[in-house]
Amino acid sequence: MKQHILIVDDEADIRDLLAQFLTVSGYRTTAVASAAEALLVGHQDPPDLIVADLQLEDADGLEMIAELKALLPDKPVILLTGVLFDPEVVRDVLSTKVACYLEKTSSLERILEAVRRLLGDCRA
Amino acid sequence: MNDPTIRRVLVFFLLIAAVLIVIAVQTARNLSRSVASSDWVNHTHAVILEVEALRASLYVGDGAVHTYVLTGDTRDRAASSEAIADVAEQGEIAQALTRNEPAQYERILQLESLVTQRVEFYQAVLAARQAGDIEKVRTLLAADAGRAALRDIQRKIELLKNEELALLTERDTVSYIQAQTTRWTVWAGVALDVLLLGGVAWLIRDGLAARRRAAAAMQEDNVRLEARVQERTAELAAANARLSTENLERQWANQALEHQLHYNQLIVDSIDDLVFVLTKALNISRVNPAVVHLTGLEPSALINRPLARVVRLVAAPPGAAAPLLDPIAQALKDGHDLRDQPAIVEDQRGRQIPVRFTLFPLRDRDKVVGGIVTLQIVPPGAEAKA
Repeated sequence: MKQHILIVDDEADIRDLLAQFLTVSGYRTTAVASAAEALLVGHQDPPDLIVADLQLEDADGLEMIAELKALLPDKPVILLTGVLFDPEVVRDVLSTKVACYLEKTSSLERILEAVRRLLGDCRA
Repeated sequence: MNDPTIRRVLVFFLLIAAVLIVIAVQTARNLSRSVASSDWVNHTHAVILEVEALRASLYVGDGAVHTYVLTGDTRDRAASSEAIADVAEQGEIAQALTRNEPAQYERILQLESLVTQRVEFYQAVLAARQAGDIEKVRTLLAADAGRAALRDIQRKIELLKNEELALLTERDTVSYIQAQTTRWTVWAGVALDVLLLGGVAWLIRDGLAARRRAAAAMQEDNVRLEARVQERTAELAAANARLSTENLERQWANQALEHQLHYNQLIVDSIDDLVFVLTKALNISRVNPAVVHLTGLEPSALINRPLARVVRLVAAPPGAAAPLLDPIAQALKDGHDLRDQPAIVEDQRGRQIPVRFTLFPLRDRDKVVGGIVTLQIVPPGAEAKA
């Protein structure tokens, strides 16, 4: 059975491209634009991994991640954002909230590596 | 007809047909000869039988005539006449049978001549006896003492019979040879046809084997081709997947870059301070909306123009030494910051607005390629202090 990945991003192009790529790579994906939709999916069809943007139209990304972590405490979260953080910030702050931080300028291959690593996929 | 096997088989069948035709012709000819020979044999036997019957009738007639001479009985006379009539009739039959055979006919005529003389003798004896002329009868019979004429006829008949039997033997030999020839012709033809049929069977078997080999080779080629097609299809599918991934990667990179640029633009545009991006020659290359808002000048009126058109540092206090070089150009040249300097911005209407001037050299790999100027508006009332 394919592993389920929830993608949360308010930019349709980014969301669709990432969903298409992860689907081609062998995963089942659900792509949503808002925190409310993400929480709904979290309840109805719990994902194995979450890829979330930081800045959403209806909520702060980190707050949404905190809510999803409360709902799905064992599920890893990748923060995929255009906001550039210093390495120290990533190490001291973000690492406590997300399993992985990736800039949006990262290649899809690198994103896939992170997904496989966090899902314990032997292909990683 | 382009198939060589079919051509060869057809040639073989033509040969077989030719052999069969030769056999048929030869057999028909021999059959016809046999029929003719058989007719001749039957005819010869008929002649022999008729001659034998003639001889028998002649002896019967001879006996009957002598009996009549002795008895003088009319019944014996009738029997004699009947026997003599039989002799004449059988002589005519023999002539009729041999009429188409000149040699036989000639011998029959010679025999018939003797028989006729003999019949005339019998008739003379019968006439004399019937007339009661015993003396004449005695004279006639005495002249026939020893029956030399009858023995002569007997010899002629024997000779004729022997000749006919010799001819029969000869015809039998010829018939036997013809039968043997027919038999050998048929057997030789059959044997030849069997050999030819064997050749045809071998050709067909060889052709079928060649076809099987060709079919097997074609099958192998098909399997190889199929494998190559599958291999190529797999390669194309892999290449397609790779291209698709690369395409997605490119789209993603463009999208991410666009997003990042947009985000950076948002940050710059959201800053309340005036921001100028300068070239190394101190020309303006970019401004944020705060500049437009404060100066009333559109970006098109600012871009590629000297910074000094809208901003200038406040001159040194009276009595202080004037700098030899433009401090902004000097800072860019030296690659150091120029922080919190008093300066004046002149707007579209010529109004002069006091600001605090800060310059950061813009570095690209340790090389100064331009500068960033930020201006903070001095709040009203703080001008004197500034």
